[in-house]
Amino acid sequence: MKKLVALLLAMTMALSLAACNSNDANQSPDASAGSSETSSGEPTNSGSAAEITDPNSIADDMRSEDGTYQVAFVTDVGDLKDKSFNQGTYDGVKLYAANNGLSYKYYRPANNSEATDEDRYNAMRAAVEGGAEVVVCAGYLQEAALRRAAMEFSDVPFIFIDGNPLSDDEGNLLTNVAAISFQEEQAGYLAGYAAVMDGFTSLGFSGGGGGNNDACNRFGYGYLQGINAAAAELDITVDVNFSWLYGADFQASTDLQTMISGWYASGTEVVFACGGAMFNSISNAAATNSKYVIGVDVDQSGEGDFVITSAMKSLADAVQWALDHVYDETFTQIGGQATKLGAAEDAVGLPTTDEAWRFESYTVEQYEQLYQQLVDGTVVVDANFANQAGTQWTNLNLNMVE
Amino acid sequence: MTFLIQQTMLYAIPLMVVALAGVFAERSGIINLALEGIMIFGAFIGVLFVNLVQQAGVFDAAYAQGNWIALQGFELLAMAVSALMGGVFSLLLSFASVNLKADQTIGGTALNLMAPALVLFFIRIIASQNTLQMATGNAASWFMIQKSDFGYGRNEEMGFLGSTFLDRTYLATYVCILIFVLLAILLYKTRFGLRLRSCGENPQAADSLGINVYKMRYAGTTISGALAGMGGFVYALTTANCTANGDVAGFGFLALAVMIFGNWKPLNIAGASLLFGLFKCIAASYSSLDINGDGVFLLNELGISSHFYRMLPYLITLAVLAFTSKRSRAPKAEGIPYDKGQR
Repeated sequence: MKKLVALLLAMTMALSLAACNSNDANQSPDASAGSSETSSGEPTNSGSAAEITDPNSIADDMRSEDGTYQVAFVTDVGDLKDKSFNQGTYDGVKLYAANNGLSYKYYRPANNSEATDEDRYNAMRAAVEGGAEVVVCAGYLQEAALRRAAMEFSDVPFIFIDGNPLSDDEGNLLTNVAAISFQEEQAGYLAGYAAVMDGFTSLGFSGGGGGNNDACNRFGYGYLQGINAAAAELDITVDVNFSWLYGADFQASTDLQTMISGWYASGTEVVFACGGAMFNSISNAAATNSKYVIGVDVDQSGEGDFVITSAMKSLADAVQWALDHVYDETFTQIGGQATKLGAAEDAVGLPTTDEAWRFESYTVEQYEQLYQQLVDGTVVVDANFANQAGTQWTNLNLNMVE
Repeated sequence: MTFLIQQTMLYAIPLMVVALAGVFAERSGIINLALEGIMIFGAFIGVLFVNLVQQAGVFDAAYAQGNWIALQGFELLAMAVSALMGGVFSLLLSFASVNLKADQTIGGTALNLMAPALVLFFIRIIASQNTLQMATGNAASWFMIQKSDFGYGRNEEMGFLGSTFLDRTYLATYVCILIFVLLAILLYKTRFGLRLRSCGENPQAADSLGINVYKMRYAGTTISGALAGMGGFVYALTTANCTANGDVAGFGFLALAVMIFGNWKPLNIAGASLLFGLFKCIAASYSSLDINGDGVFLLNELGISSHFYRMLPYLITLAVLAFTSKRSRAPKAEGIPYDKGQR
């Protein structure tokens, strides 16, 4: 008996060792995964008739004949298939590569969420040595590693998603790094505007990062501006509960569930769930009280009928757009620059497919009209969230819950 | 009021059950610090079970027909499975502390460290992401009892009792209360309970009367593990939309505090967890809390700093402990590995 249990314990230990191994193993593509989908793609541009539009139909792992991979992707913390940031970015890599007959591969820095700059640099180095013609790096956490890699491999273009332009030790701009970030405030604006236009008069915002995450802050500030604009248009005053509480680590919790349930119970009809796993507590509260949620980053309408819309940023399109610049020799236009993608580039917005559009009176046509105004600059959304505290709202009662 | 009662239950029920889990272990003489880890593991097992059964499509027909009784059965099954695996998981602790006579605090801490890592490891393999979710739908539509289940229409009122204790509740809550009562009786009114408690007070004396102390300690810790595993799943079900991510927001440690606060006695623990739950609930929702239903958020109108409300559960705990700790008495032999030769 004792031996048996000792054996069990030993196996448990072996298992946890295996856990470490699996992280590294991810760096080598799975030989058995079908590469046929990708190898048959024509080496023409993406306008061809056989364009692949569903990223899920493309294998995550491909094997090139010569063992080099032209388009490399270095993941942010978390998993490749996170239904969010990494997955959205990699979808762009896969789509572009598959439609243009390029080979592609993802590199996950070792040690995952505890990855150091060294781990990330090693992943980038592995990508370059693996024949990468361009490296896509996701997440602002990669900044230090990317700076080092970009200085060392100055002839390789890097695409830095959600990041800022970098400069070398002498302060010269690194022109091989294209920094791309999003105008989240426009996505928030569209969501808030649509919700009020659809007849909601009591709204909420629950954001992650405790108010220190720029992307979430922009979402929240834009959301308020959208609500205010729509309320002004309808000549009504709406109530908004706004909170960064219980979301500092983006996790689901009883406290968050209780707070949001309290909002719903006291009249709030829809809450913008701005942050990863927090969505679970907020959607639980919404489903319990038969109320609504606004999703974030990607189209979350599949999570349930209570997701009335989602404030999306189109990572996949942004990556394809940037890769296009690399391969049509116009990378110099975006290299060393901070590219802000927004409505003008069709990079933010709400999902408009029939199953995702759940507004009753606000129509897709009205939405597209507003979108056009964002594009041509008739409607301007302030991105500087530092202004939020001092703003006097004309048509909303802002209740900061803190 | 309805809101306050329902939300307090969300806090209090997992706390109460897991604190009772602690009582069973400590009353048998084993300090179970691993409550948090076992909760995490139980939550994972329960969610995994729900996910797999959904994928197999066993309850799809019942869901489509709105057969809520079958779905409640599904929920009970998931609770049973998580309890079972929680019990199995706790065997690691029993083995280390009973057979190997290892330091129980260290053993428990080891489980607490291992559980989240192990759970995340499996979730990664299964879902390629950090969160394991239900395969389809959400917790409320599958498992929540609603007034429509009793034939009430959307605009019909159920009355205070109905809307508080039937509408929008989870059967798991009541099952937990029932189990809590049954186990409290088991601990105090049966021969088994007496023997179990004696092993936590004076195991040498118990042994001299022919009670197998090792068996009793295994029993206590396994019951403890089962309760904590179930509590973990109930937590995930009622507050995290039936998802598991290797975290239960420190509820296991809170339960340990509640257990000490409740003086290792079931009735006191029930009271302590309700009190603690109530004030945690007020802290999280005071800004939108309408106590008497007149549309005035009284606590918000008072203009007291929000920090005060968030401190309240802990202040109350401190105050109560200050007045009652004199009578606080832990099981005498807890934490001491039983050695037959010792006198």
